[in-house]
Amino acid sequence: VSVLGIGHGNKLLTDLYNCHLTKVYTVGGLFGKATDDFSDTGKLVEKTTFDHITREKLERILAVIQGTNHKALLMHSNIDMKTQEAYELAVKGLIRPMGKSPPIITVIRCLQFTLPEFQLEIHCLHETQQYLRKIVHEIGLELKSSAVCTQVRRIRDGVFTLDDALLRTQWNLQSIQNAIWDCQLKVKTEIEKTLGPRDKSVLHKTDTEMAQAADS
Amino acid sequence: KISSAACGYGFTLLSSNTADITKVWGMGLNKDSQLGFQRSMRDQTKGYEYVLEPSPVALPLEKPQQTRVLQVSCGRAHSLILTDSEGVFSMGNNSYGQCGRKVVEDEIYSESHVIHQLKDFDSRVVQVVCGQDHSLFRTKKGAVYACGWGADGQTGLGHYNITSVPTKLHGDIAGVNIIQVTSYGDCCLAVSDAGDLFGWGNSEYQQLASVTDTTQVNVPRHLPFKIGKIKEAACGGTGNIVLTEEGNVFVWGYGILGKGPNLIETAMPEMIPPSLFGWSDFNPDIRVAHVRCGLSQFAALTNRGELFVWGKNLRGCLGIGRLEDQYFPWRVTVPGEVVDVACGVDHMVSLVKSF
Repeated sequence: VSVLGIGHGNKLLTDLYNCHLTKVYTVGGLFGKATDDFSDTGKLVEKTTFDHITREKLERILAVIQGTNHKALLMHSNIDMKTQEAYELAVKGLIRPMGKSPPIITVIRCLQFTLPEFQLEIHCLHETQQYLRKIVHEIGLELKSSAVCTQVRRIRDGVFTLDDALLRTQWNLQSIQNAIWDCQLKVKTEIEKTLGPRDKSVLHKTDTEMAQAADS
Repeated sequence: KISSAACGYGFTLLSSNTADITKVWGMGLNKDSQLGFQRSMRDQTKGYEYVLEPSPVALPLEKPQQTRVLQVSCGRAHSLILTDSEGVFSMGNNSYGQCGRKVVEDEIYSESHVIHQLKDFDSRVVQVVCGQDHSLFRTKKGAVYACGWGADGQTGLGHYNITSVPTKLHGDIAGVNIIQVTSYGDCCLAVSDAGDLFGWGNSEYQQLASVTDTTQVNVPRHLPFKIGKIKEAACGGTGNIVLTEEGNVFVWGYGILGKGPNLIETAMPEMIPPSLFGWSDFNPDIRVAHVRCGLSQFAALTNRGELFVWGKNLRGCLGIGRLEDQYFPWRVTVPGEVVDVACGVDHMVSLVKSF
């Protein structure tokens, strides 16, 4: 999922960035090897056994990772925990760092596990591809083995999911217009929810531009 | 392998289900011999008033290599130890009869060797609970016995005097099969097998205000909350918490109840949103499995082995890495699966299974 903005959408992109929404990735990994850049195309550094690894052990390690990241989440969110607003935000799950911060993982789950391969679903903020590969490598180390990352696929970027994405065959004007139309409401609600009600005129302008684009 | 832990007011007891001779260890304050007699290394005739590391507690068992210790509980200055075949042992302060034996005037509790054995119940005791200065015993037949300080009605025996012999409670729980009792301060709660909740004791903080305007209740009363079948309850000093069959957590009473700094007092149970325990659209299977109370803290254990705490953070007892009070459930990062937790006044002990 890669988000593109057209015209006024470019300005909305900045707003979306400021919402600091989570992105979701499916990350594929392979036990038994370690490479210098943590992916399976890098230079092989080490080979290890992995028969002792079970799904249960993997899930426990994932729980620990989620726990430590939870604490980092709080530290970077800059919210005073003693306020009622902090409670309201926590209930809604909106305690998130709203500024620059190191990568934080909010949810990490194991989707598939067939030795030596495994697939994880990772929800994160402010990540880089290298960070995700490094997580795979570290999981391998924690399980007393080693792992390399075979695949990183973004399946969700904020409000945009795989279902909203256009396939290569759909790269034509009509589909693009339809897609923009469908996502419009989602984008508006998310920006409003996180950044607060915006200047009504700005959003109204978006609506008229969309209407014009649809007509042409 | 430690199977049970309990935190008192400044001391801790740990026990194991083992058949070895040493089954219980204690540490902390021992000014009232709540940890038994701890012989001093420097002077063999004297005992320690402060025990700085887990030390064996010697129990006068008839069959030390067969009897097993099932559970321990600690109050302000006394403790109870439950065994499977030799009844209940009580140690510590007995100024109000909380150890289940006759009050001896001017008894000196420091460096005392006295450990009393209690066996006179209608059936085998399956749970022991220490309140601040009283003791509760739950038997296999579902009855509840109490002894100790009763000025707040916490013994539930219909009077406000002290009781020095465990006596059966009646009131609304007569004939009811009670499956759990809990207390830590001066208020008590009991849960029946049908999912009903009963309470007695102190109600100065609205703990029992749902059934009475008085500040003390000395007979067990049914609390008619319509929140579902109750599975487990826990009493703190000023607040109470229950867990329902559906896995929802309700709090009421006074203090930091867990719904932000604005909720400090309520007579009717309020539910804590499950999203605070990690429940979400991505994780819909998370449920709270157990709830526990300290004097002014609450703890909840989820079915994933995660520990959430909230309440007053005296001396950092919540373990969240900060020293400020926590107004809503916050996850404690523990390197393992939390199996059980015991809360005290200003410290907490958790039993954790490593990954």
